[in-house]
Amino acid sequence: MKAPALGLKEVLLALVCLGLVVLAVVVSGAAPAEALQRFVQGSVVGPASWRRTLQEATPLLIAGAAVFLALRAGLFNIGADGQLVVGAMVGAAVVLALPGPVGVGLGVVLAMVAGALWALPAGLIKAYRGGHEVISTIMLNNLAGFLALWAVKGPLKDPRQQTATTALLPSGSTLPDLVAAPPFRLNLALLVAVVVVLALAWWLSRTVAGYELSAVGQNPTAAATAGVETRAVTVRAMAASGALAGLAGACVVFAYERRFYADFSPGYGFDALGVALLAGSSTLALLPSALLFAILATGTTAVQLLGVPRGLSGVLLGALIVAFAVVRYRRRSP
Amino acid sequence: MTGVTVRFGPVAALSEASFAAERGAIHALVGENGAGKTTLMRVLFGAQRPDSGRVEVDGRPVAFRSSREAIKAGIGMVSQHYSVIPELTCLQNLTLGAEQGWWLDTRSAAARATELAARMGYEFDWHAPSSGLSPAGSQKLEILKLLWRDSKVMVLDEPTAMLSPADSDALYASLASLAGEGATVVVVTHRLPEVLAHCRTVTVLRAGRTVEARPVGETTTDELAGLIVGHEPPRPVTDRATAGAPMFVVEGLRVRGYRGDEAVKGASLTLHQGEVVGLAGVDGNGQRELFQALVGTRPAQGRIELQGETWVGLRPGARLAAGLRLIPEDRHREGIVEDWTLVENAALGLHRRPPLAKGRLTDGPAKLEHAARVADRFATRHGGLGSAIRSLSGGNQQRFVAGRALAMEPKVVLAFQPTRGLDIDGTAKVYAAVREACRAGACALVVSFDLDELLEQCDRVVAVCGGLVREPRPGLERDRREIGRLMVGVEA
Repeated sequence: MKAPALGLKEVLLALVCLGLVVLAVVVSGAAPAEALQRFVQGSVVGPASWRRTLQEATPLLIAGAAVFLALRAGLFNIGADGQLVVGAMVGAAVVLALPGPVGVGLGVVLAMVAGALWALPAGLIKAYRGGHEVISTIMLNNLAGFLALWAVKGPLKDPRQQTATTALLPSGSTLPDLVAAPPFRLNLALLVAVVVVLALAWWLSRTVAGYELSAVGQNPTAAATAGVETRAVTVRAMAASGALAGLAGACVVFAYERRFYADFSPGYGFDALGVALLAGSSTLALLPSALLFAILATGTTAVQLLGVPRGLSGVLLGALIVAFAVVRYRRRSP
Repeated sequence: MTGVTVRFGPVAALSEASFAAERGAIHALVGENGAGKTTLMRVLFGAQRPDSGRVEVDGRPVAFRSSREAIKAGIGMVSQHYSVIPELTCLQNLTLGAEQGWWLDTRSAAARATELAARMGYEFDWHAPSSGLSPAGSQKLEILKLLWRDSKVMVLDEPTAMLSPADSDALYASLASLAGEGATVVVVTHRLPEVLAHCRTVTVLRAGRTVEARPVGETTTDELAGLIVGHEPPRPVTDRATAGAPMFVVEGLRVRGYRGDEAVKGASLTLHQGEVVGLAGVDGNGQRELFQALVGTRPAQGRIELQGETWVGLRPGARLAAGLRLIPEDRHREGIVEDWTLVENAALGLHRRPPLAKGRLTDGPAKLEHAARVADRFATRHGGLGSAIRSLSGGNQQRFVAGRALAMEPKVVLAFQPTRGLDIDGTAKVYAAVREACRAGACALVVSFDLDELLEQCDRVVAVCGGLVREPRPGLERDRREIGRLMVGVEA
């Protein structure tokens, strides 16, 4: 299909979005030019900024891939955040019980299993009872939050700490840095994330299972008529999406945070929805999409010092997605 | 409408086409798939902006920028694919977009709806969900939608494609009464007998140009068919197959219908190797349920066997692997993925077979080659195999679906209204290919509501009535009267 040319409406929309952002900055009392400078410096200038941005991009990439996979199967996995939290919790618990590289490996695997199990009910309910996955995954998000809270206040709590958190993972029980030139750091987790996206792109386009999954997402009736076991595909897609979200959680624990605590996720799973939606129909577009979200996140953190509220990144992202949706889904109907 | 030109990129869908219709009559617009019939009507309806040309309504030039403006001016269109939203009730569908005022006054709306329906001799349960409507019911609802909007000019695109003969006659009767009240009715159709029986004038489009426009009384089906294709139409086939051994056996099949009632009540049917069997019947006699039971998407009791191997308990995937091939009824819902490319769609249902799949992987080059073959089979007109199948005209999509069903060693071909929306040329080609596949050792069952088509094209025709398959008496396998009697349940 021909890419639609940008018309007056789209340009206007972009201007309105920009205006919203400037307005938000001005209302919070900062000078727009200074805010912009801080924003750029805090996200993409210098090694320290890049370290933060790439760190932020890691869970966004993996969880974005998780949401993207579910979307391909026609499922809206709002539960990625809960699956990520459960995965992170299980990963941390495994390594605390069994330190060392073996523990990390096992932790990653079990984190994925935990994420898959956390998503599984939503898949089953959708496939066999027709209950909408958006509702069930939101419920499961809440359950995950309370489960995590109970764990870090109870069995997983480090008795030496005041706050609800686990102990710090031993230093030999983390994912190694590939590049460590302070202030720049590049962890193995980012490589894992990129490989996950590449593998997903390959799987979707080159395997029979990927083909069937896309068919179910696009037209379940036609897929069933073509001999695809649509229910099984739905359940598997949801579980696989959960497993990836769990992997994202494990990566955050093992590569960056080195512990699990209450309110662990700042909303990675929800940003991942935006990452996947912005990527549209292209798996590889997850890479720039996640990077953009990461830049916006670190940039707004930097601007916070000027008194600009953190909610600004939400405004920005929301405007971005709306603008994108308008351009992308414009005049699709015949 | 004069000098209407519409271009889609480099392709001219219409070049200097013209069309005229006078008030108080039914007018036919005929032409091959992709001749530009639908596009021309969409221009009239404001859904397609012409690159050049004039459109006049009641002698005044108009230039609708949207369908909304066209509707305001009293022009209504029922497209080939009904726009009934199954989640809404019949009444909500009727009033959608034309609600009177800000508040929904269900009671008075229902009263007016009932009055409109009574005028046409229709009956609706206005508060029932429209998902339960048959194709004929949806069509009726679409016509009422036009009346609801006070349309003076009514355009119907392929209105009888999904209707049984009786429903078609009823439809034309209501259209005639509308015309009698002063409406202008334009029917886009492939069915020439209908044109001759019911319309006043006929306009023939070929490759985007108007080649003929004249009163129906001054022409014949043969002449029209010639004008449409631009050359002599293919003759109906006469070489009937000599049936081989029983190949596909269905016995005592019982299937529950959409509403939980028993729609197929112990149907039995045997397809012999090499033969094309037509299943004639009035819509709603269990054809759909029977078809789905044979595909495996609807549970059934009874015996289904292919060459001695039972199919009971087999999932659709396993049946496809055993050689089942489908031309489903509703291609948008069951046959294709609209946003996918032709390449991806060509593999749908065959995607687990080598060479399209190598083990668990798909083979890109093989898929491309396969898609090219499928498209070539019935000369599908398309803008590249990499373009979305939704960009094809309806008839060309159907050609593609038929090509796919016959592409890879079919054993049993199940076709439901396989020529829906196809022109004369396409119809002949599809049946020729089905017969060719059967000569090579397959068998085929074709479900259609068009008895004449089945009689012309099939080796043998059986009837379905009230969920039972009824075979004509020996020697009368292709006797129109005999099968017509069986279709309506008259005992032989």
